[in-house]
Amino acid sequence: MSPSPAPRWARLFLRILAPFVPGHRRAEWLEEWEGELDALADLRGEGRGEDYPGWVSFVAGALPHAVWTRTEEWSMDGVLQDLRYAVRMFRRAPGFTAVAALTLALGIGANASIFSLVNGLILRPPAGIRRPELLVQIARSYDQAPRWDNWSWPALKLIEREARTLSGVAGYQTQAFVLGRGADTEQVSGQLVSGAYFDVLGIRPFLGRLLQPSDDVTPGGHPVVVLSHGLWVRRFGGDPGIVGRTIPVGARPYEVVGVAPPEFTGPEAVGTPPAVWVPAMQSPGYRGELPFDQWGWSWINAVGRLRDGVSFEEARASMDVVTARLREAAPVNGDIRVLVAPGVGLDPQGRAQAGRISLLLVGIVGLVLLLTCTNVANLFLARGAARTTEVGVRMAIGAGRSRVARQLVTESLVLALFATALAVPLVRAAGRFLPLIFPYTLSVSVGADGRVYLFLAAIGLAAGILFGVAPAWAATSSDLSDALREGRSGAGRVRTRLRDALVVTQLALSLGLVAAAALLGRSVVNARAAAPGFDPDGLVVAFIDLQPTGRYDPASGRNLFERVLARVATVPGVRNVTIASQAPIQGGHSRSTVQPADRPGDLAFEAENNVVGPRYFETLGIPLLQGRTLGGLEDEPERVVVINEALAQMFWPDLSPSGSGGRSAVGRRLAGDPGWRVVGVVGNVKMRSLRSEPMPGVYYPLSQAYSSRMVLHVRTDGSSSDMASRLRQAVAEVDPELPVANVVDLRQALATSMGETRTIGWLVATFALLALVLAAIGLYGLVAFGVSQRVRELGVRIALGARPESLVRMVLARGLILAGIGVVVGLGLSAALGRALEGLLFGIGAIDGLTLVGASVTLLATAVVAAWIPARRAARVDAAVSLRDE
Amino acid sequence: MPRPLGLTSLRILAAIRGGNAYGLDLVARTGLPSGTVYPTLARLKRSGLVLARWEDQRLAEREGRPRRRYYQLSAEGAEALSDGAARIAEAAAALGAATGGEAR
Repeated sequence: MSPSPAPRWARLFLRILAPFVPGHRRAEWLEEWEGELDALADLRGEGRGEDYPGWVSFVAGALPHAVWTRTEEWSMDGVLQDLRYAVRMFRRAPGFTAVAALTLALGIGANASIFSLVNGLILRPPAGIRRPELLVQIARSYDQAPRWDNWSWPALKLIEREARTLSGVAGYQTQAFVLGRGADTEQVSGQLVSGAYFDVLGIRPFLGRLLQPSDDVTPGGHPVVVLSHGLWVRRFGGDPGIVGRTIPVGARPYEVVGVAPPEFTGPEAVGTPPAVWVPAMQSPGYRGELPFDQWGWSWINAVGRLRDGVSFEEARASMDVVTARLREAAPVNGDIRVLVAPGVGLDPQGRAQAGRISLLLVGIVGLVLLLTCTNVANLFLARGAARTTEVGVRMAIGAGRSRVARQLVTESLVLALFATALAVPLVRAAGRFLPLIFPYTLSVSVGADGRVYLFLAAIGLAAGILFGVAPAWAATSSDLSDALREGRSGAGRVRTRLRDALVVTQLALSLGLVAAAALLGRSVVNARAAAPGFDPDGLVVAFIDLQPTGRYDPASGRNLFERVLARVATVPGVRNVTIASQAPIQGGHSRSTVQPADRPGDLAFEAENNVVGPRYFETLGIPLLQGRTLGGLEDEPERVVVINEALAQMFWPDLSPSGSGGRSAVGRRLAGDPGWRVVGVVGNVKMRSLRSEPMPGVYYPLSQAYSSRMVLHVRTDGSSSDMASRLRQAVAEVDPELPVANVVDLRQALATSMGETRTIGWLVATFALLALVLAAIGLYGLVAFGVSQRVRELGVRIALGARPESLVRMVLARGLILAGIGVVVGLGLSAALGRALEGLLFGIGAIDGLTLVGASVTLLATAVVAAWIPARRAARVDAAVSLRDE
Repeated sequence: MPRPLGLTSLRILAAIRGGNAYGLDLVARTGLPSGTVYPTLARLKRSGLVLARWEDQRLAEREGRPRRRYYQLSAEGAEALSDGAARIAEAAAALGAATGGEAR
């Protein structure tokens, strides 16, 4: 009986090591270790585990044991001798060794770095969480329209009660919190959490205590906050007396009850890590309008912990019961479905997206590795030419072909080992560097861990074999007597063909990468030129929220906005200012259902809504297509709106500006009581991102509609570099307690919305340049080698009266034939790469003729230069000298 | 006779002396890391100081688990252990004399 068998990974570890043990001892080795694992499991099952080592430290011993058996085997086989010989070879050629090892280290390092990103983002759960493998994410979906969505508060509470397979359920919602007062005001990312949050995640406090269910019972009754370790150090100087102090969060004072441990950065992998945690019931934003009893208001993410001994499958099955209870509880849940997914960090959609980006990056660095391997193989082959005689002698005195090949492969493995060691600092640096260029903020660390180093070792080994086998094969396929007759041999032919193939591979790879880089670069340029529907230059937006102050109703709110607009208009550098509830590119979060009044039953659509202040369209440069804008509404007898072209098209296709009717949608009405009259049609604006399709939208005038969360839109003359602080100051002069959250330059926001394309574009461009240089060097080396091999032949030709130019052409032609083949193969590769990158492109197809032609011309031009330099030497061959040489 | 045995080997030999020890036992008894114990055992076995024996196949099958491998001292192993112990006692005595009898 063994109640808890040895962990699966321990067995897997043994299986991975086993092939390393010499064949005739393998079965025995494995059986012994499995026996020991079993014994350890028994002892732990009997509760005697304390006297024995833990799983990790015990199983780790299998590695030295396996290594020992292998080295003992090798010392008998002469492999150790091979190793010593290889090291001696490299010490004798330090320049060659350094170049080869560095090139290889680059390829290996790039791969391991990307793997560390994948590892941190997808494979490794967020840090600081106890037994993260037992966590599950719980989401809401619908039978008809599958999605991954969050919950309402009553639904969260019901899941907490009904999910019997879970030992606990917690909710959290990431949002912005405003800390401090006056000049000290700061906006941070934080989470509203249910009382069980820290218990479910299994976090222990660094200082004081964390939140508990009793903090989360009475709305507003218990204003407490937990600080992140980072915020505590940065804002409060690591003051150990922080616990018990009160700090302003939003408009109210909150008591700091504790500090979270430094390694804990929340349950999500992407996004700014939370700096504060506040019980949901103590939310600074929801005073007066608590959503805690509304089933239809979904805002909180749910995460649960599996009960001991419950499998994920059992938990998934048990969700049917929860689904049934939810449907009984409220009509709005009519066709709801509860989904669960294992782990935290990224939800299934995020995981899929991260997976796609990672796969792309893996593909790109895979090409880089291939490139560096071909390059090093080429170096080895070139060097192999010089060693033909040595190999020939060794074979002549009785070394078997496999023995010599093994020696050569050993050399490449030693070099790969060396390169792997060089790659370690590269990978460590990447852990700090990658998050900076990654298009999203990462909460999790992507630093190297054991898994990354294991991957590094594996890829180093693979590279060693990859580039080592070809030269070894070429070197040993020599005919003995030929080899001793110096160079002109079967081995020479095999080697030349191999080098040809390698150079063609390099040329093809560079063409693929150059074309991919061009596609991405042109996408970024296209995006810059793309019409987002408004003029982004010099447009700055600042987010303000009246809710936390709790002092404004719609009337006084409108009055405040007017005063803020008047004050901001006087700020130096400001040309024009207006206000709206949604900002372009940053918005699109608010939608409501609208219907045309003339056919209410027919059409209803969730259109984006935007409450806008005076001169909105003029300030943003949104073109008016029909009718008028929303100016001068003081005496307007009825409620009016401006709609965008997409909505006009959807509701009144023949009346829209692009319709053929020639009449106008102006004067039509949107359904409602008393309804809204359309007074104008404006152009579409990209509210969410450049890539998003234009959504139907409605603009409501601030004088007739209201939102307490508004965005100042400021058209600046671009002269001021600290517009953010000037705006903050101006707003503070109107109401010192009104925090201005973030200030965003929309030109920059546009650039950010192309972040993935830009990042991957830079990476690909760097690698493309590298590839081009390596391919040029490869081609140069090959042509130069060809010339040096043919000196005698060239001499004869000159002696017989050949003109130097014709010799140059002859040599050049060979290089260009290779380049031509490279282009053909590379075009295929480019097409495949373009397809893989399709999701990142903007305004350009995956297979773009101009791009392919341009890339091919670039490659051919490079090839001509690389081949021409050595070809010139062919023309300068002195017939007398070359013939005397023999 | 090859090189004299080191402390690690002697500790492992001493731990085996009781007979019928398997690797995990020796790790626990000596407090040495498993990465030291197993290669040392393999080396001692190769030099004939230690004998290894698999437990009865039927017993393991009955309990539905892999066989365990037990180690015991050979005659040479027992001799090497007592030689080694004597050598160390001698060294300890010499050290004690040199440091003024502290290590008595």
